[in-house]
Amino acid sequence: MTLYTAPISVGDGPLVSAKGVSKFFGEKQILTDVDLEVERGEVVVLVGPSGAGKTTMLRTLNRLEAIDAGEITINGALIGQRRNKQGKLVDVSARTLARQRADIGFVFQHFNLFPHMTVLENITLAMTDVKGERKADAIAYAKELLDRVGLADKADVRTRSLSGGQQQRVAIARALAMRPALMLFDEPTSALDPEMVGEVLAVMKDLAEAGMTMLIVSHEMGFTREVADRVIVMDAGKIIETGPPAQVFTAPQHERTRQFLSKVL
Amino acid sequence: MNFDWLYFWGALFTPSPRFLSGLALTVIISIVAMALALVLGLAIALLGRSRFLPFKLFASLYVWVIRGTPLLVQLVIIYTGFAAAGFFRFEDVDLFGALIRGAVQAAIVGLMLNESAYISEIVRSGLESVDSGQNEAALSLGMTPTQSMRKIIVPQAIRIMVPPLGNSFNGLMKATSILSIIGVAEMFQVGSTMSSATFKVFEVYAVVALYYLLLTTVWTLIQTAIENALNARAGLPPAESVMKRLFGLGGRRQIPSARAAQPVDAA
Repeated sequence: MTLYTAPISVGDGPLVSAKGVSKFFGEKQILTDVDLEVERGEVVVLVGPSGAGKTTMLRTLNRLEAIDAGEITINGALIGQRRNKQGKLVDVSARTLARQRADIGFVFQHFNLFPHMTVLENITLAMTDVKGERKADAIAYAKELLDRVGLADKADVRTRSLSGGQQQRVAIARALAMRPALMLFDEPTSALDPEMVGEVLAVMKDLAEAGMTMLIVSHEMGFTREVADRVIVMDAGKIIETGPPAQVFTAPQHERTRQFLSKVL
Repeated sequence: MNFDWLYFWGALFTPSPRFLSGLALTVIISIVAMALALVLGLAIALLGRSRFLPFKLFASLYVWVIRGTPLLVQLVIIYTGFAAAGFFRFEDVDLFGALIRGAVQAAIVGLMLNESAYISEIVRSGLESVDSGQNEAALSLGMTPTQSMRKIIVPQAIRIMVPPLGNSFNGLMKATSILSIIGVAEMFQVGSTMSSATFKVFEVYAVVALYYLLLTTVWTLIQTAIENALNARAGLPPAESVMKRLFGLGGRRQIPSARAAQPVDAA
């Protein structure tokens, strides 16, 4: 049984394309001229020391962070921006950006489930209020997703009463409910107790095997080796190396990669 | 001790129609002023969150001036000062057959303005207390900022705002006692008329105090019920009990926090 049944995105070119992306927080440059592509169906893991800009890069892809230079397209369309008549990039309306984000699933380190709702309501809210699905259809699909992440019996409980691993699985189901073309994961297991990491990674592995396009910021090197098609190593706001995990982990080209890997492997 | 018990019990249990109408006016002014202050306070808080600089500046200026000056002075300026300067005069008006005195209108406006500054700060801090990750999660699901505010932020912020808003209302009811200065015939003013007519100063003001205590106690009951209803909807244990609030009786309350929540089962 696959986790993900909606049609995988079709089209030409890479699903994610970032070109020359730079980002500042005040005076501090977080990202410097980053180029990044993710092909359709590809599973890419972003690794690197903390402060390297991995999370910021991930957040620019659904424009939770605006960028100061460069351009990002998802499925060929600029995200959060458009070109005006003079060819300059300007922000799109909040409504247009919202519509774009609905096709991009995002899983947060701290889950960010809505504590004032039940598990089921967490999942169905955006289905009905954003996509306009009928309530009964939304509930049926939400229950199916909950079943697939192993939480069918938790539909009517409050998120507060769940363990961290359960909360993160609900968060993944909530993102999948929008039938996204792309899933972004921001350190999805970093806030979990060690014994709960496995259950979340198992769900993500299912999803990868089902052909979902995924970009993951992670420190789980074992998982990365097993599931990733490609690893991107970032350091100090730049991509310093990219390649299949076998290559990057066993024969890193860059000195900084070697240093980083010696600490985490 | 010279305390006329007979007069005291009489004033307490068989209050005169004038006293009751003063009590009614206190309650009505409190409720109307609070309702208007909630609307205005919310508007000021939203202006303060605006990205448009003049709105932001206006909101902080408003809060600074109103919170930095006494209510008594504000009331006198609005009612007496404005009229004396020929700027604006509150006239008696007939509203659906009820005569609303100018002083009562000025009282409501003054209390509303004063309270709204405090309420805007309560609303602001309530909205800010909701973790920013909540808004980000809503946006990442394709909700607009407006949808996120309505469905995610406000429902969580309200639960946080109710206790301080309740305290505000409690304070507002007691603050109505200074309306006598602009000649509003609320409970305190009726009391002071009674006391100067009978010279039963202690007896009269003891009754007045007990009626304020009655009002604030009834409000505590209502506020607790509101908090409990909101907590139940959020799946949280009940708020502090009324006995605990009023008399400090009962056990220590467990304060639940979202982050520190214990997993019920770690399947």
